Amino acid sequence: MFDKILKRNETYLLLIIILYSIVVTCSNKSFMSLENLFDTLRSGTGMMILGIGVLVALLSGGIDVSFTAIAISSGYIAVRTIMVIGIDNLFLAFVISCSIGVFLGAINGIIISYFKLPTLITTLGTLNLFHGLLLTIIGTKSVNAAQMPKCFIKFGSAKLFTITTASGTTYGLSVFVIPLIVVIVLTWFILKYTMLGRGIYAIGNNMESAVRAGINVIKTQLFVYCYIGFLNGIMGVVFVSEVRWVNPVYLVGTELTVIAAVVIGGAKLTGGSGTIFGALLGVGFITLLNSTLVFLGLSSSWMDFFIGFVMIISIGINSYRSILKDRRILSFKL
Amino acid sequence: MKEELVIAKNVCKSFAGVQALDNVSISIKKGQIHSLVGENGSGKSTLIKLIAGVIPVDEGEIIISGHSYRHLSAINSIREGIQVIYQDLSLFPRLTVAENISLNQIIEKGKKIISWKEIKKIAKMELSKIHVNLDIDELVENLSMANKQIVAIVRALTQDTKLIIMDEPTASLTKKEIVSLYLIIRSLKKKGISTLFISHKISEVLEISERITILRDGKKVGEYATDELDADTLIFHMTGKKIDKTPFEYNEEKHNKEKVLLEIRNLTKKGNYENINLTLRKGEILGLTGLLGSGRTEVALSVFGLNKPDSGKILIDEEIVKIKSPKDAVNLGISYLPEDRYSQGLFLHQSIGDNIIVTIIKEILNKLGFIDNIKKSKIIKKWSEKLKIRTPSLTANVETLSGGNQQRVVLAKWLVTNPKIFILDGPTIAIDIASKADIHKMIIKLANQDIGIIMISDEISEVFLNCNRIAIMRDGKIVDLVDTKITTEDEIFKIVNGKTKKNHIQNTNIIHK
Repeated sequence: MFDKILKRNETYLLLIIILYSIVVTCSNKSFMSLENLFDTLRSGTGMMILGIGVLVALLSGGIDVSFTAIAISSGYIAVRTIMVIGIDNLFLAFVISCSIGVFLGAINGIIISYFKLPTLITTLGTLNLFHGLLLTIIGTKSVNAAQMPKCFIKFGSAKLFTITTASGTTYGLSVFVIPLIVVIVLTWFILKYTMLGRGIYAIGNNMESAVRAGINVIKTQLFVYCYIGFLNGIMGVVFVSEVRWVNPVYLVGTELTVIAAVVIGGAKLTGGSGTIFGALLGVGFITLLNSTLVFLGLSSSWMDFFIGFVMIISIGINSYRSILKDRRILSFKL
Repeated sequence: MKEELVIAKNVCKSFAGVQALDNVSISIKKGQIHSLVGENGSGKSTLIKLIAGVIPVDEGEIIISGHSYRHLSAINSIREGIQVIYQDLSLFPRLTVAENISLNQIIEKGKKIISWKEIKKIAKMELSKIHVNLDIDELVENLSMANKQIVAIVRALTQDTKLIIMDEPTASLTKKEIVSLYLIIRSLKKKGISTLFISHKISEVLEISERITILRDGKKVGEYATDELDADTLIFHMTGKKIDKTPFEYNEEKHNKEKVLLEIRNLTKKGNYENINLTLRKGEILGLTGLLGSGRTEVALSVFGLNKPDSGKILIDEEIVKIKSPKDAVNLGISYLPEDRYSQGLFLHQSIGDNIIVTIIKEILNKLGFIDNIKKSKIIKKWSEKLKIRTPSLTANVETLSGGNQQRVVLAKWLVTNPKIFILDGPTIAIDIASKADIHKMIIKLANQDIGIIMISDEISEVFLNCNRIAIMRDGKIVDLVDTKITTEDEIFKIVNGKTKKNHIQNTNIIHK
């Protein structure tokens, strides 16, 4: 049992996060506070939802780089639509955003599953396609906090519960954890307990074998990209509510950071392997870096350096372990 | 008990005008172990695919348990209890053993929601049916090749199977593992499950099967009870020609006066091999055999500079040499034909010609440092003719060639460097019998041209026939060194498997003096 824990990538990442937190606390006592944890969680929610989407793509043996374009398109169109029709309702915002997300995801899915195009090329194409369409057809106008429908603003500042400190200031846990938990539980259930989810693992492991085993590859891939679109739709609403100011050029360009985070979390680019917990830890780590480098007195430009560093280390450990494994197979006991 | 389970009656199949199967019939009885043999391209795979319903027959019919199918579909074949274990095993490496075993059944039941309890229950039950103990929570990628095969077999058994078709199941198994595979096949027989065993290894086919159907060039040569056949007649039926086996004759008198070409002295690498002593003279073919993992390849890699030894010396022409990299080795006149020609011996996506000259690019440069194309094509032409590489074009990619011709390219690639010492690691792995004989002839010819050759193989008949001496390794040590003139194949087999020891050679430094 203990042996299995040591074999897991997540264990090492968790250790790194704990060590890093200790280092930060040593240099700045104010880091280890509930307030700061809540804050990091709030700012990390959007990226975690995107990360889970990336994980699903990687598990199926593919990759998705168009998700940022889908997320910003969904969020931005939802805001603009609600402004036009005047029904200021958060539920409606989610419905609009997720529908657009699923629609755009389905385009990815159809190209990938029916026409069997490579996933990277396809989504690289649709990244530009979706974003280009958004900017040309819907426009480049940004929406500021004053113009934004109240439901987004309220959602962004609502707290599940608040705590008043001795000095009189209050802080609380953002309601963002609700969509986050919903996404985690839903994805976990699909991946672990449905045939569809096991099919995602199966095609990511070995497409040919999956076909022979009778798994409907087209259906599974179509589902994967629609589901990612759905997650991106949720993220779109969370994102605009968080920043309270939306410009359609936001988000696009951060794809590789999210993918890097998920890979740091142990998901394999070759498919079929990875966990939700790992993806969350990976994203959590990067969010942590993003918000704490200031505590260490470093400029935020150090973030890229650290992401790269951790990524190379974690991939290095993985490949070293597989070399050791090969060696064990070759050698014999003297 | 002995009723017919599967009958293929006069089936024909052609692909793009090429007749892959011509009027072939086969009948497999219940509980029978039936072998299907033939060279590459003889139509074995096509016949399997027809029985599995993966491709439709052009003419003829397939009758399973009395139901006649003019157009058999894959799903009908599965429902009739036919399961194919493909050579690649079709497993999911990063899923657990339990899931790999149960997945097909779960899919078959059409369930939307999965119960992990059920998955584990199915896996445990199916494993216990053939009395195998495996950790069902382990990922398949962490299993040995043999255990992967077991998972594939057990998965096939989950579906009320009546016939298991195994496509070259022994290709990547060690001898020990093959023996346990036989045990499983025999225990299936007791349960009334038939096996169609596809192989081109003669000894395996003769050992395991009750009946043998032989295909050649898409036609059925015959169907025999195993006792009616011996290795030679089987080979004759498969290849359609008598393969002459002239053993290698080493000119001992001539070469013993010359310097020792290669000497390995007390070579040791922890965890790989221990205290290896060997000598090789010009014109000699030294066999190196032993079970997989006995350290054969590791020693060879050390001589070629790819596996740094901890201690010991290597001498060439009786002088100590330092071999730190393959470059050093090549400069000293050593060539190495690797075990896995696909990943180590060839650039599959490059042309035949470019593969041949890759070892001597520096020698065919002109004054400006560019490749001299006239020189290049001359060399390519010369060697492809010398080694009889059969191809419509030398600019075709190596991947388009048959196994035997690919191996000739690897040989050519090294022979252009004009080696003194040639190490051949599994020179005829996955090569047709006819091509194999050609390659053996070629190797003997090289030895007659005074090249010293080390031939590594786990096929004892191969080293026995083509070598003058054989070093036998076990657990990283040379346990014996025999002269093929005064030893029998059977004795060598026993030594390899650790059953006897012929002559206790402790000091193998001096053998031919």
